[in-house]
Amino acid sequence: MSWLSRLKTARGSQSPLSEEAERALEAWHALTEPAHEQPHFESRYVVLNTEATGLDLERDRLLAVGAIAIDGGLLHPQDAYYAQLEPSPGDALASLLGFTGRCPLVVFNATFNRTLLERAFARQLGFTPEFLWIDLYFLLPSLFPERLERPGRLADWMAAFEIETFQRHHALGDAWAIAQLFLAAQSRALSLAVTNPRTLADHAHAYRQKLKV
Amino acid sequence: MSNDATTLLVGASTDFLRNFSPFNRMEAEALAFVAERAVLAFHARGSEILTPESGVPTHFYIVQRGKIQARQAGQATVTEYTSLTLGAGECFPIGAISARRPSTNAYVAVEDSFCFQISADDFLHLMQISPVFHLFCTQYIASLLSQSRQQLQSSFAQRAAEQQTMTTALGKLIKQEPVFVTPDTPTRSALERMSELHLGCMVVVDAERRPVGILTQSDLLPRVILAGFDLARPIGELMTANPHQLPASASAYDAALEMATHGVRHLLVVDSDSVLLGVVSERDLFSLQRISLRQIRAGIDNAADIAALQRASKDIRQLALNLIAQGIGAEQLTQFISALNDALTRRIITLARERHDLVGIEFAWFAFGSEGRHEQTLSTDQDNGIIFRCADAKQLKETRARLVEFARTVNEDLAACGFPLCKGNIMASNPELCLTLDEWKSRFGDWIREPDPQALLNASIFFDFRVLYGNERFGDQLRSALNKGAKGNSAFLRMMAANALKVMPPLGRIRDFVVEDDGTIDLKKSGARLFVDVARILALRTGVESSSTVQRLRQGSTKIGMSQEEVSAIIDGFNFIQLLRLRSQHLETEHDSADDNRVDPESLNELDRRILKEAFRQARKLQLRLKLDYQL
Repeated sequence: MSWLSRLKTARGSQSPLSEEAERALEAWHALTEPAHEQPHFESRYVVLNTEATGLDLERDRLLAVGAIAIDGGLLHPQDAYYAQLEPSPGDALASLLGFTGRCPLVVFNATFNRTLLERAFARQLGFTPEFLWIDLYFLLPSLFPERLERPGRLADWMAAFEIETFQRHHALGDAWAIAQLFLAAQSRALSLAVTNPRTLADHAHAYRQKLKV
Repeated sequence: MSNDATTLLVGASTDFLRNFSPFNRMEAEALAFVAERAVLAFHARGSEILTPESGVPTHFYIVQRGKIQARQAGQATVTEYTSLTLGAGECFPIGAISARRPSTNAYVAVEDSFCFQISADDFLHLMQISPVFHLFCTQYIASLLSQSRQQLQSSFAQRAAEQQTMTTALGKLIKQEPVFVTPDTPTRSALERMSELHLGCMVVVDAERRPVGILTQSDLLPRVILAGFDLARPIGELMTANPHQLPASASAYDAALEMATHGVRHLLVVDSDSVLLGVVSERDLFSLQRISLRQIRAGIDNAADIAALQRASKDIRQLALNLIAQGIGAEQLTQFISALNDALTRRIITLARERHDLVGIEFAWFAFGSEGRHEQTLSTDQDNGIIFRCADAKQLKETRARLVEFARTVNEDLAACGFPLCKGNIMASNPELCLTLDEWKSRFGDWIREPDPQALLNASIFFDFRVLYGNERFGDQLRSALNKGAKGNSAFLRMMAANALKVMPPLGRIRDFVVEDDGTIDLKKSGARLFVDVARILALRTGVESSSTVQRLRQGSTKIGMSQEEVSAIIDGFNFIQLLRLRSQHLETEHDSADDNRVDPESLNELDRRILKEAFRQARKLQLRLKLDYQL
């Protein structure tokens, strides 16, 4: 129970979490960090997307989170999560952790999304959960150079795959598009012998390093 | 809370599905059922989504985006089955998943594609809860099968066209403008033109250019030279009136059949108003056909002894094999075999008459069973009988004895020419089957009045009689007596119907076909017979004179209110089974093993298997109709 008391202290003046959120957090902490080496068809990935007041990391705040799981290469509408942070941001984020578990997280543009999310986790829950992050911003051009040679915006990739979504700039609406892009990415990765979450993350990372040179 | 997200995503799927049939017409509850369960997956270009090898499909797919191609798998490529491309909103597999059998198609993504999928169980549940979806699937399956039937036909037609075979329309075979004279033309001037233009025949037409007669070179010796005909007299007095003619749309097969049947070398081709278009000669057909029908026919007609007829019989067989190899239809093929076998039998009878004294006896030779129906295959044994007139009752015994003696010779000669003796002794040499018209009538009458199992079996053989030699009127009289007797006895027809329904089409619930222990299907017993039996009942009920199954179905079923398309589909089914029978006999004779009617469905290509299944379905449909009509 020591981490729990630490947690409570760290959260400081924040309003107390609901019982459900407490349970979700407790469960999350009980999970062990997976090796991320099981093949795609046995992996559950969570595509995560955010909605913020703007695009300025210094000033803007997280408004909502949308998450869609890709389990065994399939996108199931029953396995999805959406929440606005208000009125109880702690509950929303704790429940998000309940949804994600320790699964690898897939985002489009980690620089923005991951930073925004980690900051919110720290502020609302008092800690920054560890995840394996996979950034489609770098992964997609590394896998589909024939479609876009350089990293592009989400709209560019949606156009390249003729993917549409029911609502742009909505956390879940965009997540739906990102999830479809990830389905394609998974398939292409497999054909390139990039077979599990770990190597997938490495692949994106290697591409990023190459860009810097 | 995840419910909010699910609601949004399900809503998005619902909106997508609503753009396409049948989802746009589907009940709200059923549509929600699909949208809630539709899982999205990605299929890279070139990847196989479902193949026959994957076994019974576990999922039903709806294309969300991209292109999926359905390709006929297996050896069916020989039949040029066009592949089908599915786009957004289209579904697969419908037939396979409904029937819980492996797909006959391979489904391959030809572009990077996304597909929704629901489980097979959900699919079946959807069929149950949604009448709209159920109808959609049923109609889809029906259209698929009629499509495959058309494809079979067109692939045959295509092959035929490529090989310039006997399916060519006669109109296309006419080489030159017709040369003709009127009946009042002096014979001399007509003959001069024939000689000048090197014509094998001269056509005589009326004022409207409609053929009224023909004079051929072979007529010249007997009719002109030997008869000392006065060449100044008009050709009208010399010509053969009512010349054989066919419409331009008839095929070369039809022409060859006509020539073989009537033993002529020239046929006149006319348009729909009977106006002469040209002449097609046997030689024109030879260029299309390596084995000459007429040669066979001439060989039969001129045969002086059984040895010569045995050679002709072999030729008939060879011809049939060639025709099968060319992909000719079953109906035409069996007609050919039938026409030539008839000629052969007639010649055997003529030769036998020379050895037996039948002076003063009026009789006709009957063919029964498949021969009676014009449906002989290559392995049909003899089924025949005699009908005769005997005015003086005292002469009856002796007359019968003479006919039976004669029939014995015919039966033996037929056996020598490749028509095996009937094991059940259904042969004219059996005194029981050498009867007067009255005896036949009372025999038939007994069976109709007391339809015990044996009587029903007899009916199925003997009611398919036709006169093959001798006085046709005997046949007509017996037929009209039979039709009258049967029509007036619905109990008999009902028994016949019950009997016909004893054999079911070998369609399986789980597997495509129900096979026998050796893995085969008997195409005669559980295939062709199903159609033949129903057609016979139909003919008796509606008074159709023909003994041919196709004709009986064609003429009889419209009378009982079946649509033209329904009947055509049924006839197609019957013909397909007959074709498979002939084809399997063909292959087996080449391997020198015994002819029979067994086919292993596994050995058929995908398309043939599918059509065979459809053919059996047509048999089932026909049986169902019978069942309803007689409330069985």
